[in-house]
Amino acid sequence: MTLRVLVVEDDHEIRSLMQSSLSVEGFEVQTAVSLSEARALLRHKAPDLIVLDLGLPDGDGVQLVHEIRKQHATPVIVVSARYQETLKIELLDAGADDYLTKPFSVGELLARMRVALRHRGTSLAAAVTQHQLEDLSVDLTTRTVQLAGETVHLTPTEFKLLARLVRSAGRVVTHRQLLTDVWGPEFTEHTHYLRLYMAQLRAKIERDPGEPRHLLTETGVGYRLADV
Amino acid sequence: MAHVSDVQKLGVSPARGWTAVALLLAAATLCGVWLDPYVTITSQAMIYVLAIVIAAYKLDWLQSAVCAIGAVTALNFFFVPPRWTFDVESQEHFIALVVMLVVALVISHLASSVRRESRHAALNARRARQLQELASGLSISSTKEEILSLGQGALDDAFDGPNTLLLLDDGQELQGGADLSNEVRDGLRCCINECAVLGPGTGRWPGLDAWYLPLGEKGRVLGAARVLPARAADNDGREHAQALCSLLAQNLLRARLSASVQSVQAEAQRQQVQSTFLAAVSHDLRTPLASIVGAASALQTQRDKLGAAEQDRLLASIANEASYLSRVTENTLQLVRLTSLQKDLKRDWESLEEIVGSVLSRVRQHDTGRRIKSKVPAGLPLIKADPVLLAQMIGNLLENALKYSEGAIDLSIAAQGQALTISVKDRGPGVAPAQQDLIFEPYRRGDQSGPRGAGLGLALCRAIAQAHGGSLRVTARSGGGACFLATLPLDVAQPEQDAQ
Repeated sequence: MTLRVLVVEDDHEIRSLMQSSLSVEGFEVQTAVSLSEARALLRHKAPDLIVLDLGLPDGDGVQLVHEIRKQHATPVIVVSARYQETLKIELLDAGADDYLTKPFSVGELLARMRVALRHRGTSLAAAVTQHQLEDLSVDLTTRTVQLAGETVHLTPTEFKLLARLVRSAGRVVTHRQLLTDVWGPEFTEHTHYLRLYMAQLRAKIERDPGEPRHLLTETGVGYRLADV
Repeated sequence: MAHVSDVQKLGVSPARGWTAVALLLAAATLCGVWLDPYVTITSQAMIYVLAIVIAAYKLDWLQSAVCAIGAVTALNFFFVPPRWTFDVESQEHFIALVVMLVVALVISHLASSVRRESRHAALNARRARQLQELASGLSISSTKEEILSLGQGALDDAFDGPNTLLLLDDGQELQGGADLSNEVRDGLRCCINECAVLGPGTGRWPGLDAWYLPLGEKGRVLGAARVLPARAADNDGREHAQALCSLLAQNLLRARLSASVQSVQAEAQRQQVQSTFLAAVSHDLRTPLASIVGAASALQTQRDKLGAAEQDRLLASIANEASYLSRVTENTLQLVRLTSLQKDLKRDWESLEEIVGSVLSRVRQHDTGRRIKSKVPAGLPLIKADPVLLAQMIGNLLENALKYSEGAIDLSIAAQGQALTISVKDRGPGVAPAQQDLIFEPYRRGDQSGPRGAGLGLALCRAIAQAHGGSLRVTARSGGGACFLATLPLDVAQPEQDAQ
């Protein structure tokens, strides 16, 4: 079955570049140049994935993400310039699945799309309970974490934090989402908890905590558990 | 300094004045009675004259005149024969009494006019001194607010008030004074519109209870003042208020002019910076653009003639130059943003270990030989900082080192007292002492023949360090090479850790 992708992007060059590179990869690509056009296409038929550019001529992407989340579980990947940090975080918190910073390579876009589509598949089926990458393996059902076959002992908070990242493996999880899910909604401003617990987690599961292989930092946005 | 307005009230209060009159007369009479056995009526008359002179010296005209009449009457009653009556026996005594009365009245008149004039002179002297003090105070104040507060102080010092001093804003509306009644606002408005003093004694709106004075001249009125109390006859008071107001207006005008001169200078400087910036940006952008256009057009027109290896080389060149362009653009935008809105930092508790980790994962793409050796101790304190900017700073320093040197590059982070230091050391050619400050200027490169485009990156790095209250400098490394050292203060107390 061909997967359908909606690309919402107002720049003509980038739009046609995405269209051709995604078509080559076997996707059926629809494009929209504005939020209103995207809404019209979404009403007609929901795509399997949306690539949404920030800074569209007719308004705020956040509104569109809210609208999409009300009706569909369609994955949304946000594409933004580097200085649009705040907006990017807002969109991720509103339910967007991942983001890419301009300029990006086609390879990066395809990798993010693969992760997003895989999560869509599994979220409809069963929640992610296992994670395996290189020497690290995590099993959420048995609450075991192993590094090169050795069991790693985590405190309850460390485990909750890792488990939250495992459930979104490969995708960025914002500071806010992590703080809300691990500590509770009243702790969304306590970024320093995250810094301290991530440092402890890295010390336990990374070979070189200074250059982590698993617990990746998305500077200013959140964290990502490496998945490939 | 005593209140300037106090001078007008220096005299004795009426009740105490009249008591003094009674006491003086009683004392003179008692004195006369006591000396009666030893002296003649001439000496007793002299005692009364003394009382009259004292009264004339200390009391106002009416009180001293009453004292004079009383003294003559008392002398007549108590001592002039027939005593204990108001009758006068001899013609000589009668003439003496009349002369004494006239002399007494003349003395009290002269004394009180001398007193009035000296009081007036003292008031004028104080007013002159106040003007002088205000002028010297104003000469060292540069802002409108300072001038306004000095002016309000001077008015309150000179007049009982409540005095009001308001300025016009750019839209010619009165600033502040929302609590004033409509009548007062109308008065101020009208005095500004007519550019004339209103109130008692001015011939304009004499029925008002206060003087309304404009600040400035016709066509350049900057505000207005309202001064209380206002008496029609008090010309000096009104003139003093006018003098204060015109002094304030002059200084307000001076402050306004100097502000506009400053803004013109700042604008000229900004344009100067902008044009060097633009010239430099276009230089840094043109070279990679030329490579991209060259490679792309070669592929477009000569693809059939080019071998696969050559085509790959051209494509790699396009990709490399484009990513270089994107870094230059990123640095340029960040530098402009940082220098124009310094307060826009998004600070949060950050771990340098994490930031370094994320920078390394990106920079390693250009560091295939793993020349960068990083040393980040565990348990570093957290720093309240903008992570995106710090990552950009560390990334720029590392990319610079990769570009300008060949050997190993040492990145180390350390906590030293109340600061975190980030150092990047290479074994490249180093930076000559004369260049050590110049390389941080936007678009100035140490070595003009070296790889292009490093100048902006370092300027941005320093701007980032400074925006965090820190510093960035370069020193020569013993044994050759350069050492870039950023120091970031940990000026905020570390956050509390939770107990979980």
